[in-house]
Amino acid sequence: MKLALVGVGAAGTRIVDRIVQAERTTGRAVTGGNVLVYDTAGDAFTEATAIPSDRRVLLGDAHPAVVRPDDDGQDKETDAAADSATRFGVGGDPDAGATVAQADLPEIRRALDSVDETAAAATMVVVGLGGGTGSGVGSVVLDELRSAHESPVYALGVLPAATEPDERALTAARGVRTIVPLADAVFPVDNEAWRRSDRVSDDYARINDRVATRMLALFGAGEGSTGAEMRVDPADVQRTLAVGGLAAVGRQTMTVDAAGGGWLARLWRLLGVGTEPSAVDAGTIKTLVRRALNSELTVPCSVASADRVLLLLSGPPSTISRKGFETGRYLLEEETGTVEVLAGDESRPGATAVTATVVLANVTDVPPVERLQARAIDRLEATTDEPDSGTRAASAGGESTAEFEFSAGTEDA
Amino acid sequence: MKLATIGVGNAGSKLIDQMIKFEQSTGRDLCRHALVINTARTDLAKPEYVSEDRRVLIGDTHQKARGHGVGGDAEVGAEVAKTDIDEVRRVFDDVEIHEVDAVLVAAGLGGGTGSGAAPVVIDELQKMYDEPVYGLGVLPGKYEGGRPALNAARSLQSFVTKVDNFIAFDNDAWRSRGQTIEQGYAEMNEELATRIVTLLAAGEVDESEVGENAMDSSDIMRTLDVGGVSSIGYASTELDDTKQGLLAKFNDDDEPASESTDAAKIKGLVRRAVNSRLTVPCEVSSADRALIVFAGPPDVISRKGVESAREWLENESDTVDVLAGDDPRPTADRLAAVVLLSNVTETPRIDEIQDQAVDAQNKIREQDAVREEEIRSLITDDDDDLDPIV
Repeated sequence: MKLALVGVGAAGTRIVDRIVQAERTTGRAVTGGNVLVYDTAGDAFTEATAIPSDRRVLLGDAHPAVVRPDDDGQDKETDAAADSATRFGVGGDPDAGATVAQADLPEIRRALDSVDETAAAATMVVVGLGGGTGSGVGSVVLDELRSAHESPVYALGVLPAATEPDERALTAARGVRTIVPLADAVFPVDNEAWRRSDRVSDDYARINDRVATRMLALFGAGEGSTGAEMRVDPADVQRTLAVGGLAAVGRQTMTVDAAGGGWLARLWRLLGVGTEPSAVDAGTIKTLVRRALNSELTVPCSVASADRVLLLLSGPPSTISRKGFETGRYLLEEETGTVEVLAGDESRPGATAVTATVVLANVTDVPPVERLQARAIDRLEATTDEPDSGTRAASAGGESTAEFEFSAGTEDA
Repeated sequence: MKLATIGVGNAGSKLIDQMIKFEQSTGRDLCRHALVINTARTDLAKPEYVSEDRRVLIGDTHQKARGHGVGGDAEVGAEVAKTDIDEVRRVFDDVEIHEVDAVLVAAGLGGGTGSGAAPVVIDELQKMYDEPVYGLGVLPGKYEGGRPALNAARSLQSFVTKVDNFIAFDNDAWRSRGQTIEQGYAEMNEELATRIVTLLAAGEVDESEVGENAMDSSDIMRTLDVGGVSSIGYASTELDDTKQGLLAKFNDDDEPASESTDAAKIKGLVRRAVNSRLTVPCEVSSADRALIVFAGPPDVISRKGVESAREWLENESDTVDVLAGDDPRPTADRLAAVVLLSNVTETPRIDEIQDQAVDAQNKIREQDAVREEEIRSLITDDDDDLDPIV
C-alpha cells in the first residue's frame, strides 16, 4: 500500500526520515519519496538526510511567537539539548503552534500540493504529540489534509514518557483529544512503554527504528517483489482502520533455518536457489501470532477492546502452514472478541524469518492515554492554583534536567 | 457440455484458471469462454490460462476500492459490481452464447468480492440469457472466522435464489495437515477443478468416440434443473499401461471370466466416490436427483458394474431414476467416477455457517452501537476539561 507521509515537528521529521531510510534498506516501496516535513525550529532538518531539501518546510518565519536558534546568538550544537524545544520554534506551546500554522496556511497548502494523493492509497501525518509544533501545527495540517484529500488520512502520534514534563503530557492529552476526531485512525507510539533509559531522548533512534519497521511491515505488505496466497490489499488495511480511534501494532519474528542452514545455504537461498526452510508447524505459527499480540505493542492496550484486527504473516513461502495461518487468525478472533479479523500472507522467498504483524484497530482501553489525561488534569489544576507560574515557558524551563521530545542531537549528550 | 465460465474474486479466478489447466492437460474442451472479474488489480495478474483481455477490473473508480480490493466487505463488492456492470457486460458481449450450454460463475463466498459481486453478475446474466447459470461457491472454513461466515451465509442466499444450481465446496472438509498456505489452496483448487470438469465435460462430443451409453449434456442439465445446493463425489483409479495393475484385466478382452470382479470394482469406485470427501458433506439421502459419470477408456467400463452402481446409488440417495453414463476417454490412464448429488437439503456445514453468521452479525451490531461513544470517552477526561487545540 502506497502511503504519503507528512511529518510535523522534530519528532515527526525524524520518524519520517527513519521510515524513508528503512524502505530504502528493505526495498519496500511504501512512500516512493512522497514525503513532506514541516517544522518551526528546523533543527531536526539537518538530521533528516533522507528527506530532500525541497520537501522540508520551515514555518513561522515572520511570526513573533517563533524563536530560531540563531535569533539569540546561540549555536544549537552547543545548546543543552533539553532546552531547545522550549526555547526554539513555538516553545512547546500547541496553541502558539496552531496560531502560527493558521497564519502560514498558504505556505502549508502550497507545500501540501507537492504530496501526490493519486500516488498513495492514504496519507499519514506523523507528529510528537507532546510538542507545540507536533500537536499544534500537526492538528492544522491534519485538518487541511482531511479537507483536501479524498483518501484516508491517518496520524502517527508519539506520546511523551513519564520522565517528560507534565506540560508535555498536557499538550499530548489535548493533542489526542484534537487529532482522533480529525484523523481516519491514529497510531499512538508510547515513549514510556518503549524507553529503556531515564532519558527517552537516548532511545529515540531505537524507538523510531521499531516504529519504522512496524509501519513498513503493515503498509509495505504486498509492495515490492512479494507474492501471496491471500494478499493483504490496501482495502484490507483501510477497512480495518476505518473504524477510527486509536490503533496499535504488534510484531513478532521467528528465525527459520533451512535444513543444514549454514552461511552457504543462506547464500544460495538469497540467490534464489537451494532448499527453502521446511514448513513451520501450525502450533508454532499460532504461538508466533499470540506472541505478536503480547509483544511490545506500539501502544499498550487491552487486546480485548479492539474493534477490528488485521494479521499479516510474512516469510519464506515454504514455512507458512495453512493450518497455522487459520488457527492464528482464529486465535485473534477469540482474544479480541471481534469477528472483523482480516488476514493475509506474504511470501518472501529468501527470507530467514517468519513475522507476524498484528493491527488492533480502535482499541478503547488504552492505559497510557488515561495516564496522560490524569497528568494533564493535574497540570491544569496546578497552573490554576499558582497564578504566578501560569506561563508555560516558565514552568517547563524550570525543569532543566527533564527530557524533551523535541530535543536535537541528544545522541552526543 | 460447453460452458462460458466466469471467476469472480481471487478464489473464483483461481478456480477457473485451474479448471482450464486441468481440461487442457486431459484433452477436454469444456470452458469455451473464460472471464475473470476482480476488484484488486494485483490479483488479476495471477491467472495463467485466462488471456489479459478477459480479465476485468471493477471498482477502480470507487472510493473504497480504487483497484485495491474491497477489504472483505461484501456490501462494497456488490456496490462496485453494480456500478461497473456495463464493463462486465461489454467483455461478455464477445461470448457467442448460442455456442455454450450454460454459464458457470465461480466465487469464494468468504471474501468481499466473490460474495458481493458474483450475485450481481449472476443477476445480469439471468437477465441477458436464457441459458442456465450455475454457481460454484467455496464456503469459508470455521477458522476463517465470523466475518467470512457472515459474508458466505448472506451470499449463499443470493446465489441459491439466483442460480439454476449451486455447487458447494467446503474449505474445512479439505484441510489436511502439514500443508503450507500455498499448497493448501492449490490442492483444493485442483481437487475441485478435477471434479467439476470431469462431471461437466461429459457428453461433450469432441474428438472422443461416442458410445451408446455415453452421458449426454442434457442429462446433466436435467439433474441440475432442480436447483438448490449440490455436492460432488469423486473417485478414480489408475489403469496400468503394463496391464499388471489392479484394473489391468479391464483392458483385456480375452478374459471374460473377470466380468464379475470388474463389475464389483466399478461399483466399489462409486461407493468410494460417495463415501469419500464430497465437495460439501451432506446426507446422501437428502438428494433430490443423482447422476454418475464414468470417465475413462470405454473398454474398462463394465456395463454390469455401471448398472449395479446405479442401483446402489438409487438406494443410498433414496431417489428413483439415478442416471449413469460414460464419458469415453480412450487415451485416459485413469478411470474416474463422479457422482452428482443435486439439491441436497441436509448439509451440516451450511447450518454451522449460518449459526456462526448470526453470532457475527450480532457482534458487529453491538460494536457499531457503542463505537463512537467509546472513542469519545477514551479521548476525553472525565470532566471534559481538556480543550482540543483546534
